[in-house]
Amino acid sequence: MAPAASTSTSTSTTARPAWSTEFNTARRQRLFQNPPKDTTAYPALAAAVEPHIDSFNAIFARGGLLKQAIKDIGTKIFLDGDPSAQPGDVGPRNHLYVRIQDVFLDRSLLPQANKYAIKTRAILPAECRERHATYRGKLSARIEYKVNSGDWQETVRDLGYMPIMLRSNRCHLEGMSPDQLVHAKEETEELGGYFIVNGIEKIIRMLLVNKRNYPMAIKRGAFTNRGPGYTQYGILIRCVRPDQTSQTNALHYLSDGNVNLRFSWRKAEYLVPAVMVLKALVETNDRDIFEGIVGAAGSKGLEEKQFVTDRVELLLRTYKVYGLHSKANTRAYLGQKFKVVLQIPEDTTDEDAGAEFLRRIVLPHLGSSDVTESQDSDKFRMLIFMIRKLYALVEGECTVDNPDAVQNQEVLLGGHLYGMILKEKLEGWLSSLRLPLLEWGRKTQWKPFTSSDFQRDFFPKIFKKTTENLGQAMDYFLSTGNLVSPTGLDLQQVAGFCVVAEKINFYRFISHFRMVHRGAFFAQLKTTTVRKLLPESWGFLCPVHTPDGAPCGLLNHFAHKCKIATQSVDVTAIPKLVAKMGVSSKSSASLAASVVVQLDGRVLGFCAPAQAKIIGDTFRYWKVEGQHGVPLELEVGYVPNSNGGQYPGVYMFSQAARMYRPVKYLPLDKLDYVGPFEQPFMSIACTEPEIVSGDSTHVEYDPTNILSIVANMTPFSDFNQSPRNMYQCQMGKQSMGTPGTALRYRTDNKTYRLQTGQTPVVRPPLHNEYGLDNFPNGTNAVVAVISYTGYDMDDAMILNKSAHERGFGHGTIYKTKVCDLQEGSAKARSSRSISKLFGFPEDGLVKAAWRNTLDDDGFPRIGAMVSRGDVLAAWHTVSYDPSTDSYENQDGYTGFFKYKEDEIAFVEEVRIIGSESGNEPCQKISVKLRVPRAPVIGDKFSSRHGQKGVCSQKWPAVDMPFSESGIQPDVIINPHAFPSRMTIGMFVESLAGKAGALHGLSQDSTPFRFDEQNTAVDFFGHQLMKAGYNYYGNEPMYSGITGQELAADIYIGVVYYQRLRHMVNDKYQVRTTGPVNKLTGQPIKGRKKGGGVRVGEMERDALLAHGTAFLLQDRLMNCSDYTKATICRACGSFLSTTPTINEFERKKKATSTVRCRRCATLADTTTTKSDGWTDGHGVRYTGGDDVAIVAVPGVLKYLDVELAGMGIRLKFQVEP
Amino acid sequence: MSGYQPTNGATGTGTTQAQPVVDERSRAVTYSCGDCDQEVQLKRGEPIRCRNCGHRVLYKQRTNRMVQFEAR
Repeated sequence: MAPAASTSTSTSTTARPAWSTEFNTARRQRLFQNPPKDTTAYPALAAAVEPHIDSFNAIFARGGLLKQAIKDIGTKIFLDGDPSAQPGDVGPRNHLYVRIQDVFLDRSLLPQANKYAIKTRAILPAECRERHATYRGKLSARIEYKVNSGDWQETVRDLGYMPIMLRSNRCHLEGMSPDQLVHAKEETEELGGYFIVNGIEKIIRMLLVNKRNYPMAIKRGAFTNRGPGYTQYGILIRCVRPDQTSQTNALHYLSDGNVNLRFSWRKAEYLVPAVMVLKALVETNDRDIFEGIVGAAGSKGLEEKQFVTDRVELLLRTYKVYGLHSKANTRAYLGQKFKVVLQIPEDTTDEDAGAEFLRRIVLPHLGSSDVTESQDSDKFRMLIFMIRKLYALVEGECTVDNPDAVQNQEVLLGGHLYGMILKEKLEGWLSSLRLPLLEWGRKTQWKPFTSSDFQRDFFPKIFKKTTENLGQAMDYFLSTGNLVSPTGLDLQQVAGFCVVAEKINFYRFISHFRMVHRGAFFAQLKTTTVRKLLPESWGFLCPVHTPDGAPCGLLNHFAHKCKIATQSVDVTAIPKLVAKMGVSSKSSASLAASVVVQLDGRVLGFCAPAQAKIIGDTFRYWKVEGQHGVPLELEVGYVPNSNGGQYPGVYMFSQAARMYRPVKYLPLDKLDYVGPFEQPFMSIACTEPEIVSGDSTHVEYDPTNILSIVANMTPFSDFNQSPRNMYQCQMGKQSMGTPGTALRYRTDNKTYRLQTGQTPVVRPPLHNEYGLDNFPNGTNAVVAVISYTGYDMDDAMILNKSAHERGFGHGTIYKTKVCDLQEGSAKARSSRSISKLFGFPEDGLVKAAWRNTLDDDGFPRIGAMVSRGDVLAAWHTVSYDPSTDSYENQDGYTGFFKYKEDEIAFVEEVRIIGSESGNEPCQKISVKLRVPRAPVIGDKFSSRHGQKGVCSQKWPAVDMPFSESGIQPDVIINPHAFPSRMTIGMFVESLAGKAGALHGLSQDSTPFRFDEQNTAVDFFGHQLMKAGYNYYGNEPMYSGITGQELAADIYIGVVYYQRLRHMVNDKYQVRTTGPVNKLTGQPIKGRKKGGGVRVGEMERDALLAHGTAFLLQDRLMNCSDYTKATICRACGSFLSTTPTINEFERKKKATSTVRCRRCATLADTTTTKSDGWTDGHGVRYTGGDDVAIVAVPGVLKYLDVELAGMGIRLKFQVEP
Repeated sequence: MSGYQPTNGATGTGTTQAQPVVDERSRAVTYSCGDCDQEVQLKRGEPIRCRNCGHRVLYKQRTNRMVQFEAR
C-alpha cells in the first residue's frame, strides 16, 4: 500500500517508516512534541495541495508564465500629434514604444514608514489572520520606453500590493520545516495553497475546461444560430499559449460544404473563411489544400471520398470571389479588416497587421511570439487536419467528442488563472497610456514626443494618470471571486472563481484543495448530461465524493492519487523519434491507410494504423523505461481505428494542467502515469487477479486509488449502498472536529471544535498517511441497535446520560467579533484623521454595569461572560490637539460595541490590533468568544455511513440496557435505520470496532479487502470469538429498568460517531408575538429577526381536512394579522368610515364614535346639535351612523385599498 | 528567519522592572506582545506596538479580578 509515500520520504535525511493502520501513539506523540526539523511526516498531505502551490510558483519562476506573458504583451506603440488632423497636414508622427521588461513580486514586508520593527520586517501569514489583513507583497514592474529609434530608457513603477499564496515561492513559509512552522504560529502541517484576504482564507477553485490543443468534434444545435447555412457540426480547439492564456478556435461546417473559422476577441465573435486563413498562413495553392484535406493524389481510398472531394472543390471554388491570390495579398486583406479590432497602431502596414492577426488568434499554441515560417506551416497543417476531421464528422466517419467527459478536459489551476488575470491587467495598464498621452497632447498643443517637455512629463504626469494599482485588482478578484476582464479570458463564467477555505474541520479544509468545478455556466443548464458520472472519470474524479442537490456532479473531487501537471515536460526528442519510426508528411485519403500523429496539437505526420499502434506501444515502453528522452509524464493517447468511433491517431500531450495518475506497467513492472485521454483505449486491470494475459498492459496499484481522501475514510464503504457513502462524504465535512492546533492564532468568524475527539478504532492506513489523527473528527461510541424506549423512532438516537456527562460529543464554538472604529469610513487613513478611540472618555461618567464586562481600557475582560446586550468594547470621540500631541475628548459621551446574539458566551481572547506602520493608536480590536455547546436534545449526530440521527433523549445510565459483561451502550439507535438503507458497512464497523476495542487493535477498514471466500464477518467474528464474545456480535442484554433479560440478543459494538455542526441552538424558532410586516400586519419571516414559521398552503389543507376550524382561525387570523376594523353596514365599505371629532373636547377621549362619511349628508341649519357630527376639517354631517366593528385580517383592508386605487370597489355585506 | 522567539529570562525581567511608573491620570493597562510575549504597558491613545520587538498585535491579559459565574 502507498508506494508514493515511502519513496518521497526516503529523500529526506532520515528515512521514515511508511504509515500503517496502527495507532502509532508514541510516534505521533513524539512528532507532536518535537515537530520534525527537516520535512513533513505526512508527504501525502503536502502532495494533495501541490497543484495549487506549483501553479502559483510557475507564475514567477525563472522563465515562468509572467515572463512568457510579458513576451506576448510585447511593445505598445503610441503616436503623437493630433489624431483628427489630416495626414497631409502634419509631418510624419513620432512613435513612443513602451514595454514591460520585468515584473517583480516582493515577499510580504513592513512598509518603509514603519521605523519600529527591530528583529524582522517580515509580515507572516499568522499576523495577517490575526490583524484581519491581506497577506500581500509589493508588485513592481520595470518599464522601458523609447521615442522613435532612440535608446531604451527604463524605470521601475510600483503596482500596489498583490496577495500572495501561502507556501509559494513568494511566501515566508516556503520550505519551512514543521518545527519552523510551529514557531511561525502555523500548523505543523500547514499546507498553503490559499490566500489570506482581509483575514479570510480564500482559495481559487480548480475548474474543468476543454482539453488544450486537441481539436474536438462537436455537434451542437446552437451552432445553427450563427447565421443562414450554418449547421450543427463544428470542430473546437482550445489553444493555449505558453503563458497559459487560451484562445478558442472553432471551425463551422456550412450546409453548402463551406468551412468558416470562428473566434472570440474581447468578447465579440468573428467569422473568417477557413481557406482565407490557410492562404494567409503559407504560400500555397488550391492543389496543396485539396490534397491536404482529401488525401494525396493516387492514394488509397480516394474514389470512396466523393463526399469530401465534392465539398473541398466547392470550398475552393467559393473562395474565388475574394480574388485574393498570394499570401501577402491575403494577409493584407485580413490585416486591413482586423487592424482596429486588434488595436494595432494605425501606421502598421496591412500585411504586418495580418501577420499579427495570425500570431495572436490562429492556433496560437503553435507559435504566439516571433512566429517562424515553420510555425506558420504547423498552423497550416493543423488547420487542414481540423477541416479533415470536420468533414469526417459530417460524413459520419467519426463520432463527436464528449466535452463533458474527463477525457476531453483539463484543469484550470488557480495559479494559472491568477497569472492570466495579472497578464491581462498588465496589458490593460500599458494600453491605458493612450488616453493620458492624448490628453497631454491636447493640453500642450500637440507637442511632439521628442520635445523635452514630454521627457519631463512622461512619468510624473502621464504615467501617473493610469491606474497603476494592479494589486488592488487582484485583491478584488480574490475577495469576491469576480472576474473583471475586457477579454473574458476565454472562460464561460465571470463569477465564482474563489471560495472561502472553511476550516470547519480538517476534512472540509482539505476537500477545498481537491475540489474541481465544472463551471458556473453548467449549473444553470436544465439537462443533466454534464452531471453524469462517466466511466472515463475512473481514477481521476472520485465517483462518491460529490454533493447531492444543486451542485451534484458539477462539483467533483479528485481521486486521492490523481496528480495534476503544473509544467510542461521536455519533449524535444519526440518529433525525431516519431520521424525515425516512420511517418510521412502526406496522408492518404482513407483513414484505414493513414492516421495522424500529433504532439501537443502539432501534426508530426501520418502513418498506417498498424504503425500508429506500434508508435503508441513503443512510446509507452520507452517512457516507463525512461529511455530515448521520453518523459514518464507524457500522455500517449493512441486512438485506434474503429467503425465510426473517435477520430483515430496518436495524440501526445506534454503540457501543464493535465490530470494523470499512477498505475503499474506490467511489461516492466514499473510505475507508469496514465492520463484521461489515453485511458479509455487502454486495458488496465483493477486488481492482480483480473489481469488478462495478452490484453492487460497495466494494473492498478490499489482499487481504492479511485476514491478521494474523504471517501477513502468511510470504513468498509464497499459494503454500503452507494448513496450512503455520498452522504457520509457530505457529513464528514460538516462534523464538529478539530480544525487545527494553532487555534490560538486564528480569527475565523466561526470555528467548531470537538473537545473529546478520538482516533477511530476502525480506519484505513490512509488515515495515518494523511495525518488525520492530528485533527480528530469524532468519538468511538458503544452502539446498541435496539428499539428500547420508543424515543428512537425515525432516526432519533438515545444518548447515555453518563456518556454525555463524561464529555461524549462535547463541543465548542469560537466566534470572532471585530470591533472596528473606522468601519465604513474612507480607507485613506492617517493618524490625523482619527476621530474615535477605544476606552472611556477621561471626564465621562462610567457606569458600574459597563464595568461588569469591560476593563479600564474599554476592552472586554478575558473570561467575562457576555449575554445579549452586554457591551464588548467602549469608545469615545476625540479630536487631535497638536499643541499637546494628544487626543482630547470633548463631549464625555461613551459609545459601545454590543454583543447581539442570544446565547451566552465567554470572552476567550482579545486582540489589540495595531497598524502596519506601527505608529497609530488602536482603531480595531478582535474579540474571540467561546460558546460552549454540550450536546442537547435535538443535536445531530452521525456514524460514518450516512446514518444521521437526532438526539432525542439523554437516558439515565441506570435505565440503559446492559450486557452480560456489564457494558452499557453510549448510543442507542433504532433497527429500522438499516433495512431500507442497507448500510452493511456500519454493521461491519461495529463488529470490527468491538473486536478492536477488546483486543486493543486498530482495524484496517480499507474497502475491497474481503471477498466471498474470505468474508469480513468471518474475519472479525473470529476475533470476537477469541475474546469470548458472540461470533455474530449479538449479545444477550438486560433491561436497565426491570433487570429482565431481553427476549432477543442485541447487536452491540463500537462505532465511530461524528457530531454534526447543525445544532438546535442555531435553529430553533418560536414566537408568540413579535415583529410584524408594516404593510400587511402579518408576522415577518426569518429566524434572525424573531419571525414566525409559515403555516403554508399544505399545512392549511391539513387543518381543513381535520376539521380543526378553531386551530385554523387561531393560526391564520388571531396569531397573524387580526385587526378590528370599522365598516359601514349600509354601504359595506371599510374605507368610508371616519372617527368623529368633537369641537369642544380635545383629543382626550380614546373611544370616539365612528361614522360613515359616504352615507352621511352635509348638515344644514335644521339639524340639531345632538344629531350631527363633525369630521377632522370641521365639516358637519348628519347620518352615516350604521357603523359596526368587525374582526378581519389586516391584509383584507390593504387589499381593499389597493383595489380602490385601481378603481375597484369592494362591498361587504355585514350580517346580522 | 522570523517567527516566534521567546525572550530569554534576563532581558525579559530587566525591561519589566524598568517600566515607567504608572501615570496618575491615565489608566495604563498591561498587554502581552503577540510575538515575543513581552509585557507592554499602554495608555490611552498610544500607538499599538510592542516596545521590545515592534510587533503589531497585542493580546489582552487575563484579568486578575475574580471571575465568577453561577453554575446551573
